[in-house]
Amino acid sequence: MSPNLILPQTATGHPLRRRMLAAAGALLLAGTYTALVLTQPTGLTDGLGQTVALATFAAYLAAALLLLAAVLPELPVATLTLIPVALALNIVLGQFVGSVMVPLYLDSLGTVLVGFLAGRRAGAATGVLGTLIWSLFNPTVLPFAAGAALVGFLAGTAARFGTLRRPYLAPVAGLAVGVLVGVLSAPVAAFVFGGTSGVGTGALVAAFRSMGDSLLSAVTKQALISDPGDKAIVFLLAALLIYALPGRLSAGFAFVRRHNVLGSHGSK
Amino acid sequence: MPRTCQLHPFTVLALAAAVTATTTAAGRWWLSVAVLLACLLLAAWARRARRLAGLAAAILAPAWGSQLLIHGMADTAGGHVLAAAGPLRITAEGLATAGALGLRTGVLVAAGLLCTLLIDRHELIAAVDLSPAPPQLGYLLAATLFLLPALERRQRAIGQAQSLRGATPGGGPRGWFRRVRLRSVPLVLGALQDAADRSAHLAARGFPAAGPHTRLREVQDSAAQRRVRRIALACTVLGPVAVLAPSWMGAA
Repeated sequence: MSPNLILPQTATGHPLRRRMLAAAGALLLAGTYTALVLTQPTGLTDGLGQTVALATFAAYLAAALLLLAAVLPELPVATLTLIPVALALNIVLGQFVGSVMVPLYLDSLGTVLVGFLAGRRAGAATGVLGTLIWSLFNPTVLPFAAGAALVGFLAGTAARFGTLRRPYLAPVAGLAVGVLVGVLSAPVAAFVFGGTSGVGTGALVAAFRSMGDSLLSAVTKQALISDPGDKAIVFLLAALLIYALPGRLSAGFAFVRRHNVLGSHGSK
Repeated sequence: MPRTCQLHPFTVLALAAAVTATTTAAGRWWLSVAVLLACLLLAAWARRARRLAGLAAAILAPAWGSQLLIHGMADTAGGHVLAAAGPLRITAEGLATAGALGLRTGVLVAAGLLCTLLIDRHELIAAVDLSPAPPQLGYLLAATLFLLPALERRQRAIGQAQSLRGATPGGGPRGWFRRVRLRSVPLVLGALQDAADRSAHLAARGFPAAGPHTRLREVQDSAAQRRVRRIALACTVLGPVAVLAPSWMGAA
């Protein structure tokens, strides 16, 4: 059936082209990450350091944009109207949580909500778009767009494989996602910015460095301490919010119906 | 009254990208300081200098603190030790690295925020809408930027309503969780209901439009600006290559 109520269904682009764009984005991301981990450049501010910083920034951003170009044209209208709400929730709830002096970010709650309700492609698109729009207020988040896409993609994957059918599975999936996202984002923090964006996390990295770790290793260890806990709480909160939704609202999403995302929780 | 730039939004963004990429590649402290001063001067012209300084300070203060801790106070490689106590080791090389990284981050933040302050949001949305980008992108940008203040207002209203009905969250982790629940559940449920209602209206109007469509708001553009954009984009790629090529040859 056409997603539009009164218009005939029209093809939106070429599926092969979209698949190739997505594959190019994923390959670029994986290639950049592998090259950085294998070579571990030591200089940060010399000629090689500047090259690595610019190349990492450009490659991570280009990969995120390729993934967005692959996903965006095929999203249904119900998902497109959900994404701005999710992006605004990321920012509003992120600010609210930041204002109550709790050392958590919770700035990916909207992205995870979209991943749970509309699937991994919509989740990935929300992650990239959220970062692009947030970069209007904080330009340093721009190269982290690929990490945000991974959060949304993995949230959709987790929902598809039944994470929301048991409440205790959501934080477990969040922990696993936090590990992967922390590992993927560490090279950006290490080679583009030479550390982290906060003093607390910077102190942790400094402690690991003084114990003899390389910069990438220290930033990765810090990310593995901070990210899994944050993502576990975000996944749990997103799952609880989705359980609180009226059944007719959650069942309005084709992804939820097709993959029986909510199991017995959906039959309210 | 703040001034906004009369240039096409993409021209401003392309120039900012070229300046940031070339300055990062050059890695010269005087060039970075000159770019930072130029950003401040442009913000002063737009009557937004104080806002730029405040926003940049909020982002840069923790980032600089982190860079100082990691490179300036726990440096393991530098030879000129200025002070050492336990795990802390302050070296001249570490401080220089922290300073260079701080300037690199500063240029990115100042140039990016200046773009946000100079570009009119309506112009940016119209420019995205008129560009060859998918029509969904313009809608998502517009909807998010205009939904943000609406959701912030609604969040405050929910907080006031919960206080009026005597719902006190209490202290500790349980109080924090209760406070998040009292605010986020009505906020998220209401926002999702609105999104579901909106999707039916948009679908009924044939969104996203596949063919060409008339836009009431025009964005000022010219052949000269298009040329500047092309040159700026070329500089974004070729500028760093030209600056860094000698160091690559030296390394080879």
